[in-house]
Amino acid sequence: MDIKRKKRRGLQAWVSWWIEKILAASGGITAFIILLIVVFLFKEGVGLFQSPRVDEGYVLLMHSSNEVDQLSADELKGIFDEDITNWAEVGGKNQAITSLRLDQIMDRFTEEELGGEYEYLSQRMGELIATTPGVIAFVPTLYAPLDHPAVQAMTDNTIALRDFFVGKEWIPTATPVPLFGTLPLVMGTLWVSLFAILIALPLGLGVAIYLAELASPRVRSLLKPVIELLAGIPSVVYGFFGLVVLVPWVQRVLDLPVGETAFVGSLILAIMALPTLISVAEESMKKTPRALREASLALGATHWQTIYKVVVPYASSGISAGVVLGIGRALGETMAVLMVTGNAALIPHTLMQPVRTIPATIAAELGEAAAGGSHYQALFLLGAILFLMTLIVNLMAEALAKKQHNKGF
Amino acid sequence: MRMKRKKRAQWLAFALFRLLGVLVVALLIWILGFIVYQGIGVISWEFLTTGPTEGMTGGGIYPAIVGTLCLVVGSLVISFPLGVMAGIYTQEYAKKGKLVQFIRLMTNNLAGIPSIVMGLFGMTLFVNTLGFGDSILAGSLTLSLLVLPIIIRTTEEALASVPYAFRVGSYALGATKLQTIARVVLPQALPNIMTGLVLSVGRVSGETAPILFTVAAYFLPKLPTSILDPVMALPYHLYVLVTSGTDLEATRPMAYGTALVLIVLVLIVNLLAHGVRNRLGRKVKMN
Amino acid sequence: MIKAESIDFYYGEYHALKNISMQMEPNTVTALIGPSGCGKSTFLRLFNRMNDLIEGTRLEGKCWVDGVDIYDKSVDVDELRKRVGMVFQKPTPFPKSIFENVAYGLRVNGIKDKKFIAQRVEESLRGAALWDEVKDKLKKSAYELSGGQQQRLCIARSLAISPSVLLMDEPASALDPISTSKIEELIYSLKEHYTIVIVTHNMQQASRVSDKTGFFMLGELIEYNDTKKIFLNPAMEETQNYITGRFG
Repeated sequence: MDIKRKKRRGLQAWVSWWIEKILAASGGITAFIILLIVVFLFKEGVGLFQSPRVDEGYVLLMHSSNEVDQLSADELKGIFDEDITNWAEVGGKNQAITSLRLDQIMDRFTEEELGGEYEYLSQRMGELIATTPGVIAFVPTLYAPLDHPAVQAMTDNTIALRDFFVGKEWIPTATPVPLFGTLPLVMGTLWVSLFAILIALPLGLGVAIYLAELASPRVRSLLKPVIELLAGIPSVVYGFFGLVVLVPWVQRVLDLPVGETAFVGSLILAIMALPTLISVAEESMKKTPRALREASLALGATHWQTIYKVVVPYASSGISAGVVLGIGRALGETMAVLMVTGNAALIPHTLMQPVRTIPATIAAELGEAAAGGSHYQALFLLGAILFLMTLIVNLMAEALAKKQHNKGF
Repeated sequence: MRMKRKKRAQWLAFALFRLLGVLVVALLIWILGFIVYQGIGVISWEFLTTGPTEGMTGGGIYPAIVGTLCLVVGSLVISFPLGVMAGIYTQEYAKKGKLVQFIRLMTNNLAGIPSIVMGLFGMTLFVNTLGFGDSILAGSLTLSLLVLPIIIRTTEEALASVPYAFRVGSYALGATKLQTIARVVLPQALPNIMTGLVLSVGRVSGETAPILFTVAAYFLPKLPTSILDPVMALPYHLYVLVTSGTDLEATRPMAYGTALVLIVLVLIVNLLAHGVRNRLGRKVKMN
Repeated sequence: MIKAESIDFYYGEYHALKNISMQMEPNTVTALIGPSGCGKSTFLRLFNRMNDLIEGTRLEGKCWVDGVDIYDKSVDVDELRKRVGMVFQKPTPFPKSIFENVAYGLRVNGIKDKKFIAQRVEESLRGAALWDEVKDKLKKSAYELSGGQQQRLCIARSLAISPSVLLMDEPASALDPISTSKIEELIYSLKEHYTIVIVTHNMQQASRVSDKTGFFMLGELIEYNDTKKIFLNPAMEETQNYITGRFG
């Protein structure tokens, strides 16, 4: 009998060789997709820090005697909102600020002075700036009198990392410069998600204990599908339910000016996080060795004492993995939150205020942002931040789940 | 005295947990009951088979149903073979160790990526870079990324549950690894793999965020003619009806009807998944 | 003193113990031996009503511990288990510190006096011959101890609630020989204060530590007598076959 290894030939061997290669390639697909996601999010978003703050085709003009040449986005907003009224406040001379937009400039002149086709607009602008030393004007570059000796254009900066990460305002459509402060969005996302878990944890843990320890097999076989169904309901349906039932109810009961608040967002997210929390917690409690349980009962502990002194501590890593996973879900949930939180880009001070989360912001604004513009880039960076947040959370959950079988401490 | 307190604490705690169990059931009944109660009157043959009319205050949701079906079929055609192959590779071929651990970690992370981020990614890659535009193709590709981890995981679990003895039996007859997997292991694991498929149907038909910028049309009464056409989809349609109709009061009934159709879809999917799993349960007992 | 009278026990349809009567004296060690599945562990677990935890079981007959009918309706199971300590086959430390493991039984029984607890923990650890090895690391996790130390910790844990009876279900079967001999010495010294019943697979162990031995087979108590008598001159042929290793 010849059992020596033969070089396999023929179609069949060739086909199976290829199939194995294809299988191997598909095994790496998830890693490849994640890599692609990282590359594309950053590729689309990172240009934000290279693009000028002032919209293309516009320029900020000042009197040439003005020594201030650096203004932050917040300061510019303050000036044009007339919250900042003296150059001394932003490091200049003691001189009143006159902020002017194009329409305000045009209001100061008659049609004849500007010319039928605005051919004298540039000239008039130059004269106006020359006679007003405290001026700052936001005008189209096309009409800017840049060669006038009394006029200087402010050197424009690119959008600063600092403004993006710790800026307190998110007003992407503001002029002269949009404000891309992500802090309110990050805070909004965290607040809503963490509070949701705070509501869901005691509830979910209770139900998990009931399922793992108390329920008869019959009740369990009834309750499990209920939990699966809760997990299966689409998030828009939750959002819809929240909007038509919970929002008016919370508004009435708590007597609020608006019902669309962080609180309702958390409520809905809590309901949505329940199934994950319950099933992960139940599974890890079921893994408690029977011997440990019996040892506790043998010492005269009641069933309840055994649960909270032995079973829950033993399952604590598993339970915290469930909690962390729930937070991850809540962080990324888009539609339900978008529909019930009112979407105000404010740093929340109480839960009874409207807030806006990162996913909701992306969903609501991406449709209006011009592709490749700074708003568009900012939204992609938000996506990247969200991606990183959930990645960290997922890795934490993974580590916790692994820990369950090492030490119980 | 002391003993009594111990017992009372237990009684109280257990009563509370029973109450919580009841609460969860009540929660589901509340949500489902509300939508069924409000939506049942809207459902009619006409509602299911005609397009929206009169600024979405009348007519039906036929194009959205068709659109969702297209997306379900499209995304599963892509993700199912890919996911099953990836599952077979990690479970049967890859050497147990760092590599498999890494792949599992990546699969779990992919499952944890928020759907809106998937939407962003789908938009840049499929819609813009590859030039598919807002289309069934781009939407299906994006959605398939979302369900890929579900399919991979259920495939792995299904394969792992096939008893080792089956494989040994096949190898003993001189079958190669590939033959063993294709003829013995896969057929045994198939019912369980199908559970993953069914669950994915539920997920795809309910997701909104990934299709916002890759496929979904706000209002499009005509049906798609190719995979490069945009379509309406049930969850997005519900979102539009709820938040951006011109006359919110008049579109409410349409919204309830759409929500009910979505819920019924989810119910059917869950029942199916349950049925498949139960059949499998019996099979295992028989062996 | 422990007494069982005409015990029949069923797991569903399965008749696990058949008409067993037995009496164990205070301050003695009684060993229960027999082949796997003979019912010796089931019998042991009757005395702290551990079998109650398994669904679908049924008991006929009566059990007494210190003169109390323990299956009577008026008996509080938790209180009974406080009186009857149990040590399991594998060490089962809780995910807590060494100190908290020993204090567990006291705490669940509502004792809050810190001084008293600390004192009991020390006494119990000394009683289990573990004090010198752990006195400097009481706050450390119980999982940091070796297997033998963990088992002695579990014995200390049982001693802390001052039981009158100690049930041991193959307490040394998962341990190395050195740890085993330590546990055996401990069992021998504990009988001064407790009624001890030990289930074991190891016949040398039974002959070393016990005063009386009961031999179980197929749910029946074949022979029950002084250990010396059982091992040197058994009355029944089955016993003879088992201890000389002809089956089991």
